Amino acid sequence: MYGVTSLVFFLIAGLSALAIRMELYQPGLQYMGEDTYNKALTIHGVLMQFWWAVGIWSSFGNYLLPLMIGARDVAFPRLNALSYWFFFAASVLALITLLPGNHIRMLWTGYPPFSLNENAGPVAFYALIIHLLGASSLAGAINLVVTNLTMRAPGITLKKMNLFLHSFLAMNVIQILGVPALAGAVTMLLMDKYFHTAFFDPTRGGDPLLYQNLFWFYSHPVVYVMILPAFGVISEIVATFSRREIFGRTSMIFAIWGIAILGFMVWIHHMFTSGVPDWIRIVFSYTTVLIGVPTGIKIFNWIFTLYKGSIRFTTPMLYILSAIFMFLIGGLTGIPLGLPAFDIAVHDSHFVVAHFHYVLGMALTLAAFGGFYYWYPKYTGRMYSELWAKVALVLIMIGSNLFYFLQFIVGLEGMPRRYADYPAIESWVRLHELQTVGAMILGIGIAVAVLNLVFSTKFGKKAEDNPWQSPSLEWLIPSPPPPHNFDKTPHMPEDWDPYNYEWLEKQHKKQ
Amino acid sequence: MKEVLAYPANYWQTMYEIWLFIAVVIYLVVFIPGAYFLVKYRYRKGVNEKAQHVHESKALEVLWTIIPTIVVIYLATQSFAFYRIQRNAPENAMEIKVTAFMWGWEFEYPNGKKVFSFFNSVINPETNAYLKPEEVNDMFKAYIPADTPIKVLCTSRDVIHSFYVHPAKVTEDCVPGRITHMWFQINKPGEYWAFCREYCGTQHSKMAAVLKVVPKEEFEKWLNEGMQTNNTSYKQNL
Repeated sequence: MYGVTSLVFFLIAGLSALAIRMELYQPGLQYMGEDTYNKALTIHGVLMQFWWAVGIWSSFGNYLLPLMIGARDVAFPRLNALSYWFFFAASVLALITLLPGNHIRMLWTGYPPFSLNENAGPVAFYALIIHLLGASSLAGAINLVVTNLTMRAPGITLKKMNLFLHSFLAMNVIQILGVPALAGAVTMLLMDKYFHTAFFDPTRGGDPLLYQNLFWFYSHPVVYVMILPAFGVISEIVATFSRREIFGRTSMIFAIWGIAILGFMVWIHHMFTSGVPDWIRIVFSYTTVLIGVPTGIKIFNWIFTLYKGSIRFTTPMLYILSAIFMFLIGGLTGIPLGLPAFDIAVHDSHFVVAHFHYVLGMALTLAAFGGFYYWYPKYTGRMYSELWAKVALVLIMIGSNLFYFLQFIVGLEGMPRRYADYPAIESWVRLHELQTVGAMILGIGIAVAVLNLVFSTKFGKKAEDNPWQSPSLEWLIPSPPPPHNFDKTPHMPEDWDPYNYEWLEKQHKKQ
Repeated sequence: MKEVLAYPANYWQTMYEIWLFIAVVIYLVVFIPGAYFLVKYRYRKGVNEKAQHVHESKALEVLWTIIPTIVVIYLATQSFAFYRIQRNAPENAMEIKVTAFMWGWEFEYPNGKKVFSFFNSVINPETNAYLKPEEVNDMFKAYIPADTPIKVLCTSRDVIHSFYVHPAKVTEDCVPGRITHMWFQINKPGEYWAFCREYCGTQHSKMAAVLKVVPKEEFEKWLNEGMQTNNTSYKQNL
């Protein structure tokens, strides 16, 4: 349910992105006015962040966590239902903002004092959506952390737990620590707007930067909420198709937690040009670039997992390798944004947009689709179409690189982001034209990938229970899993490990 | 020495080149072995059916923790050094006050002369698209002396905006209730854009101003045009 809801919103957000791209194809306003453009931008931002990038992992985690730890269900099934229905209610409200008359134009960030201005749209509505989503996230996160820590089947120690589960645990801990800050920020915003408090309103002694601090204290760590599970999925798939355990498994776990902790210590880099004191910009530039270290460790470990492996180029593996490739570019272009001397020129430019579309747009989406294909037989009991999955990947890679790489260049040339229109500077015009072509190709690629998933539920070939020959617990039971997952709690033997591929072979021989 | 169009853009340029070099090297360091392993260790029937197990290597892991740490700390320190210069205006800088509003800019010069640039002045009323800088009426242009460091004191009348000088590659938010600062210097006379970089509502993308950079003498002449009385009172106030 979660998964389908997120996917639907992903497509809506994708369509708004294409609309944005069409408008930027040429300078001047061709298809929509500035007002409509700003609404499209808001919708794209909010939906992609909260419904796709965060929501999709909740669906993965909810489904896979009990299977991977040998539990019949999550610890608090009713809380889980509540969490979904809050998510659903927020979804309905978000859809209502698409109707005329309810438009929110203040972007997903909702910075005051702009958001206190009439021009911004209904703030109460925005705050309600954020609160519902926040409550949903908190309930979900607490539920899954408790499940993970208390309901692991005998034999599954923390050391033997899947790396996906480690990343998922870290993600949920970030949610639990971070969501209250955001909830506080939007509540204060609400009170400023409707009850005439003055937290953020400078004309009455408030400080607009306070909101930015609170907002980014959550909203920076939340990018790791989005990307850590993607790292988890990458680790699972790289291990499975290299037929060996992840290289440096312990350091991977430490890297996950290093990223989670450092993630809370870098939010000022969103405010390098906002007027905060100079010394704090320098301090945060050091913490920001340091986060590149654990991230680098993860990439090097993935690459060395290939070393002396027996690599199978299945569709999920190809998606994941593409995700690593995209993540590498996204990561390397993230480092300079942590350097004030560089950031001063590209802050709030298309360079930033390109950076996070490489990381959160492409690496995350490719990992998610890799995950869809990988666990597809588990979810549905059927196989997807190999051919169309590969066609989709080729289109996605060509389209997104054409699109986002040129976005870096236009950003380096100074094009500010969130612009419906721009002056006819020659190189900008050409770069925007090509980007729009790239975006179209990307759009077609995504459409093919999604249609493949939809049609294969009906027309796909029947899948084996364990098509990838993985010893990870979710593959040891029939696909799709029976209603209560496990008839009795499994006891995992001493020599079992989710990445011990010889163990599985031995089991086969015994039979 | 090659001619520099604008300060502090030259420092940005050096920072950019240093980063680009390091980024390309790191990219190759990851990509080349990655591609090599993918080819060498691909599964082939009868040849590479089984993986060999190399679980970890302390030496390698320490290596790729320490080297990146050194690299990023070097980058941050280099940035620190440049940023001090990019951030702090030279002492002989001329101060102008910039006040942002929805949706435009007010420039105030030391003698009290003011220039307004707002969205109606930079767009063509018929097509609603951007004018070229040379088509904008001179009365809406902010005159800037060439070869002179300009310190900008920035604030806003309503919401947060961000003053971005395109050729100088420097931006700083204009926050209501605060005064922020930045500096730039453009050496070649001509007309340049300044944009708003912080989302501020409907006409955000049209919140631009034209900076008309002129030789110093011409600037002095322009500055004192119609300002005789104000000029004396300004001097008395000093």
